[in-house]
Amino acid sequence: MKAEKDPSRFAAVCLEIRDLWFTYGDGQDVLNGISLSIAEGDFVAVIGQNGSGKTTLAKHFLGLLRPTKGEILLHGERIRDRSVGELARQVGYVFQNPDHQIFGTTTWEEIAFGPRNLGLSAEEVERRTVDALERFDLSSEATKPPAMLSFGQRRKVSLAAVYAMDPHVLILDEPTNGLDGRGEKEAMELARTLNNTGKTIILVTHRIRLVAEYARSCILLAGGRVSAYGDTRSVFEQDDLLKSSNIELPQVWELGRQLAPRGFLQPALSVGDFCQTYGELLKQTGFRNAGAR
Amino acid sequence: MLADFFMRGDSWLHKTDPRVKVLSVGLTLAAALILQNLLMMVILWLLVLAVPFAARAPRGRIRFVLSALVPVSVLMPLVWIVFYPIGVETISFWFIEVKLLSLVQGLTVVLRIHIVSFAVFALLFSTDQTTLVRGLVKLRLPYVWGLVLSLALRYIPTFERSFADILQAQKARGLEFESMRGWRRVRALMPVFVPTVISLFRLSEQIGIALEARGFGAEGVRRTYFRDITFRTLDWLYIAIVVTAVGSLFYFNLKYGFGADPLRLVR
Repeated sequence: MKAEKDPSRFAAVCLEIRDLWFTYGDGQDVLNGISLSIAEGDFVAVIGQNGSGKTTLAKHFLGLLRPTKGEILLHGERIRDRSVGELARQVGYVFQNPDHQIFGTTTWEEIAFGPRNLGLSAEEVERRTVDALERFDLSSEATKPPAMLSFGQRRKVSLAAVYAMDPHVLILDEPTNGLDGRGEKEAMELARTLNNTGKTIILVTHRIRLVAEYARSCILLAGGRVSAYGDTRSVFEQDDLLKSSNIELPQVWELGRQLAPRGFLQPALSVGDFCQTYGELLKQTGFRNAGAR
Repeated sequence: MLADFFMRGDSWLHKTDPRVKVLSVGLTLAAALILQNLLMMVILWLLVLAVPFAARAPRGRIRFVLSALVPVSVLMPLVWIVFYPIGVETISFWFIEVKLLSLVQGLTVVLRIHIVSFAVFALLFSTDQTTLVRGLVKLRLPYVWGLVLSLALRYIPTFERSFADILQAQKARGLEFESMRGWRRVRALMPVFVPTVISLFRLSEQIGIALEARGFGAEGVRRTYFRDITFRTLDWLYIAIVVTAVGSLFYFNLKYGFGADPLRLVR
């Protein structure tokens, strides 16, 4: 199945996956013939049950796993013969567990590690490190050992470290695990800001609320295959597929869907979206204070 | 994960008392250390290798152990040939001439490593953690030590997985070390070693807390066991065979020099 997503919306294809198969060393088939294209500048969420192949698929984009069969093209070029180090210039990957990357004696050193590996000048490494520290509100922690920071702070360090490498494509694998509400919002707003500057964001997550709120497109994986791919709204409308993957849609979407047959507008993806849409509608129909938040 | 060796089953080895298996491993290790003769080592190797096969161990696991031993099996004879050229007799392979005794010594060391590995493998694949700890405690090992040992074994696969994940995470940040050799490679891998060690410390701290939270180490408590183990006829038979075989080997070795010479059976 070749999944194409609204090609008119974005000018170029960033990642193209052609008939991708992957089997682990113990014989476990994880990806079974995935074909899809991810558009330049898109914000794509990859969702699915545990073991559906989300992380395995994402690791292929950076060459951390090599396909058993099939091809991946980054900006039209095959990545098969390129090393992970070379691909890391274009593709950044934030891992699920921040402790899997933290080793530096200071937060500054930790963030500078990636840019240094790219062979940048000392001035450029410093500029990017300072920028990342400021962007993630970590300047006050710059001289502290990152391993001693709180989990939320360590998560920020892991995000900042990849941000400093300035990749064109940013893969976020469960980036909000272990973060409180504020930390989650900060991390996701930053992902949105980066996306607005033209970077392609690939978000691997279980948190359907984040998908609804931030992702423009959505890939639903089931049993190592693409079960649905399209803009987030169109994927959310495929009830049966989502149910078979045990994915529960946000309550605000469900509420909107319950209201739709009664002459209301289409379901809203987020609470903000809901208030805006229905607030306007209620105002028009004469309800006072409607839409006030 | 292949390093997590235990496989549920009902073979004769699974049914054997863990004390017998632990004792057998110890005696096999002693036999492997005392024997210097290549032929005897080959026979012992075949006997030890036959145990997991006879107990229907999965072929994949046996292959895994064998493949893990390939590097040392190749390197060890080479090290002996190159760095310890002993003896008078030489043998030629094409245009290469090597000292026969060095080659035999190298092969003996390889067989010794194989024998110990397969003896431990036979124990681990057929004994679950609880039974192993119970067996060790019955052999007068303090319970806490037994638990520490079983936890260490249990977390080998977790450690392997962590290491692989950390390696991937650092590669994703542009770390390249494949082309490096020796000390430079070790230094380049520091960003992998440090998070691995930190993760292990964190994990051990969490396990400690979890154990305490569930009452482990509470004062004045006499430990009882839900599953106890007892010697059966099969266990006595097994231990009798192993003790007789290894005891005879020791006797003949000490008295007549049996198996003490690398090339001749009797000195």
